[in-house]
Amino acid sequence: MNDAEISRLEGHLGRLLLGGVLTAAASLALGLAIWLTGALPAVSNVLLTAGLMVLMATPILRVVVSMIEYVRMRDWFFVATTLVVLIVLFVTIAVAVMNAHRRV
Amino acid sequence: MTLPIVFAVMAAGAVGGCLGSLLGLGGGVFLVPFLNVALGLDFKVAAAVSLMTVIATSSAVSAGTAGRQLINLRLGMLLEIASTAGGLTLGVLVEHMSDALLNRMFAVVTAAIAVLMLTRLERRNVLGADVDPGPLGGRFYDDESGRHVAYRVRRLPVALVASLLAGGVSGALGIGGGILKVPILNAWCGVPMRAAAATSALMIGVTAVSSVPIQYARGYVIPPVAAAAVLGVLLGSRAGFWFGGRARAKWLKLLMAMVLGSVSVLYFVRGMR
Repeated sequence: MNDAEISRLEGHLGRLLLGGVLTAAASLALGLAIWLTGALPAVSNVLLTAGLMVLMATPILRVVVSMIEYVRMRDWFFVATTLVVLIVLFVTIAVAVMNAHRRV
Repeated sequence: MTLPIVFAVMAAGAVGGCLGSLLGLGGGVFLVPFLNVALGLDFKVAAAVSLMTVIATSSAVSAGTAGRQLINLRLGMLLEIASTAGGLTLGVLVEHMSDALLNRMFAVVTAAIAVLMLTRLERRNVLGADVDPGPLGGRFYDDESGRHVAYRVRRLPVALVASLLAGGVSGALGIGGGILKVPILNAWCGVPMRAAAATSALMIGVTAVSSVPIQYARGYVIPPVAAAAVLGVLLGSRAGFWFGGRARAKWLKLLMAMVLGSVSVLYFVRGMR
C-alpha cells in the first residue's frame, strides 16, 4: 500500500466519521431540546434513539469501508484482519439482541 | 432530571472531552466518576453513558486527524482484533464482577502507567524520514521538530496484550482504554506519542462498540443523559484538538501522568469502601 492509497483511505474514513458524528449530534441535540420542553415525548424518544444508533453504527461502518478498500487493494492480510473485527462486532450485536429479548 | 442536571452533565462532558482528545484517553476517566459520584448514578449506568461519549470522541478526533498520516490504520486494525475481543468478553462478564474488585485493579494499573510515563519523558521514538518503517510502521509530518519522521513498530505481542486489556477496561469500566494503550505503544513498541494517541483515538470507538450495544440492551444507557454527555464531549474535544497540535510531547506526557495519578487515587479510595 503506497502513500497515495493510504491518504485516499484516510480521506474516505475521515468523511465517514465526520458525517456519522454530525448526524448523531444533530439528532441528539434536537431530541434533547424537545425532551427538555416536555412536549412530544414520542418524537424526542425517536430522535434520541436514532442519534445513539447512528453513533454506534459509525465505527462499524468505518471497519466495513476499510475492508472494501483493502479488497480493492488486494491486501488479503488486512482483509482477513478487518473480517475478524467484524465477526467480533457481530457476536456483540447478537448478545445485545439476546439481552434485549430477555429484558422484555 | 432537570435543566441544571442536563447542563452539569454537558459541562462535565466538555471537560472530559477536552482532556480526552489531548491525551487519547476518550474522556471517560473524568465522566464516569462524575456521573457515578456527583450525580449518584449507578456505576454501570455511568460506564455505559461514558462509552457512548467515547464513541463520539473517537469519531470526532479521528475525523480531525485523518489525512495527516498520524493514524496508523494497519496497526490500529490489527490491534482492534485484540481490543474488541477484550471489550466483548468484559462487556458480557461485568454483570458478575464486583465494583470494588474492578476499582482496585484499575487503581493499580493506572498507578503503574503513571510511573512509566514519568520515567520516559525524554523518549522520542522517531527516525529520519528515509528509514524504511517496515510493514506496520509509519511516517508523518512532526509539528514539534518541523520535519517528516518515520518509526517502526516493535514488540507487537506486547501491543496486542495491551489492546486486549484496554478493551477489557473499556467494556468493564466505561473508559476509552487509551489510558492503557498509549503509554505502552509509546514506551515499549516504538510508536511516537502523537501517532500512538491518534491511532488509539481511532481504536477506542470500535472498541466501545464491542461492548456498549450489550449495555444498551440491558437498559443502562439513559438517552437524555447520554445525549447531554455526548454533546458536551464533542464541544470539549474540539477545544482539545485545537490545543493538541500546539502542546509539546513532554508536557503532554507530564499532564497524562498527573491525570493517571489522580484517577488511581480516586479508584483506590473507591475500591476500599
